[in-house]
Amino acid sequence: RSGGGFEMGSEADGGGAVRAVHEGTGAVHIVVGAPGGPGESRDPGVPGGPGGPRDPGDPSNPGIEGEAGAASGGVPTLTVPFPSPMEAEIAHRFLTPNARLRGPVQKELSVNGSVLTVRWRAEDPRLLRISIISFLDQLSLVMRTMRRFGPPVSR
Amino acid sequence: MPAVLGFEGSANKIGVGVVRDGTVLANPRRTYVTPPGTGFLPGDTARHHRAVILDLLQEALTEAGLTSQDIDCIAYTKGPGMGAPLVSVAVVARTVAQLWNKPLLGVNHCIGHIEMGRLITGATSPTVLYVSGGNTQVIAYSEHRYRIFGETIDIAVGNCLDRFARVLKISNDPSPGYNIEQMAKRGKKLVELPYTVKGMDVSFSGILSFIEDAAQRMLATGECTPEDLCFSLQETVFAMLVEITERAMAHCGSQEALIVGGVGCNLRLQEMMETMCQERGARLFATDERFCIDNGAMIAQAGWEMFRAGHRTPLSDSGITQRYRTDEVEVTWRD
Repeated sequence: RSGGGFEMGSEADGGGAVRAVHEGTGAVHIVVGAPGGPGESRDPGVPGGPGGPRDPGDPSNPGIEGEAGAASGGVPTLTVPFPSPMEAEIAHRFLTPNARLRGPVQKELSVNGSVLTVRWRAEDPRLLRISIISFLDQLSLVMRTMRRFGPPVSR
Repeated sequence: MPAVLGFEGSANKIGVGVVRDGTVLANPRRTYVTPPGTGFLPGDTARHHRAVILDLLQEALTEAGLTSQDIDCIAYTKGPGMGAPLVSVAVVARTVAQLWNKPLLGVNHCIGHIEMGRLITGATSPTVLYVSGGNTQVIAYSEHRYRIFGETIDIAVGNCLDRFARVLKISNDPSPGYNIEQMAKRGKKLVELPYTVKGMDVSFSGILSFIEDAAQRMLATGECTPEDLCFSLQETVFAMLVEITERAMAHCGSQEALIVGGVGCNLRLQEMMETMCQERGARLFATDERFCIDNGAMIAQAGWEMFRAGHRTPLSDSGITQRYRTDEVEVTWRD
């Protein structure tokens, strides 16, 4: 598996999972269409699907059925590793104020060590796609800014 | 002696400025210009801003001869304006504030214009005519608020001019308003257009629909030239603006008028306002294109005033808002 490519998960791998892997700082993992427990059916009218344990963000969880992509009830998740916890925290803090806008798409950002995680909640796949793209644009801008005007001064 | 860095990008101009104690140390700016016949869309504008903003920031610091540590506060446009461009600029402002550990200040764009106008011209307490592509307001200061005395009830005067320029496919470089102004100088015939003043307010959408329609007809029959239409549009909309400004000045007993905003660069508007002011024994103030057109230093200047008065914008509140009334801000830095 080389860097810089997209990888479509196979059926056995939990069909419908899409992974983007890039080399270098800020490699980004996108999982779209949250995996559910085995046997869980994807019914677009029922958020969360009937029963079954949820494990958002884990691409290796097998047993996804139904449609790929952001059907309602999916929790698309983005994870971004940073070189240090401080930078992850900075990214988290200055992307958060925009995240809290009301609307059909909601984002939830969290930081764990050096990794920033974003979870989306949206009914409409098109709005979700716009939100993800726009978020990636902002993230890219933040990272360019950090690279050019960082590192953060000591406090 | 605080030095403030200001970021502005609410429309198609992106600027980064540095102000210290009433002196503008740097004010570089770039404009996103679209082909004739088109306007600028939020997504594309934001993309343009994201591409140039870091270079502009570097330019501003270099021109001011300052390092990041010499800056005391980071000001940015909180609103009003277009969503995507505002967000792109706010993200960078927040990022550098965090990187350099400096306080952040969200500034109202209209107040940026007013404070820069006051600084550059020295006007003490003028009635302000704020006219641009996105805003048209008559403002006067009273008891800690910039009160809106009159405004457009639909579109801004600059928006009316810009959209008319699209109909005639006038170039957007350097700005459609500038090119309309040059063409208007060559106009000879005054075409009668609807004149819409409603009390203290004005309306431009009617005159726009009328002239868009009339343009097709009259240019086809050769009844008038594009220059005549530019001339007539300017004469009509500017007269409306002069009327509502005069009305506000009469209410306030004001002896000073200040024009700010991109449309304020227009020399014909300044001329008409000057005539009105002279008739009232009042003084007119205006700035040049460096400061009437959106720029970073005006945000830095408003930020400087706010910073000294103790305003701070916590990170949790450092978003943007497309609707932000001028009178929402408590102007604690004036008596």
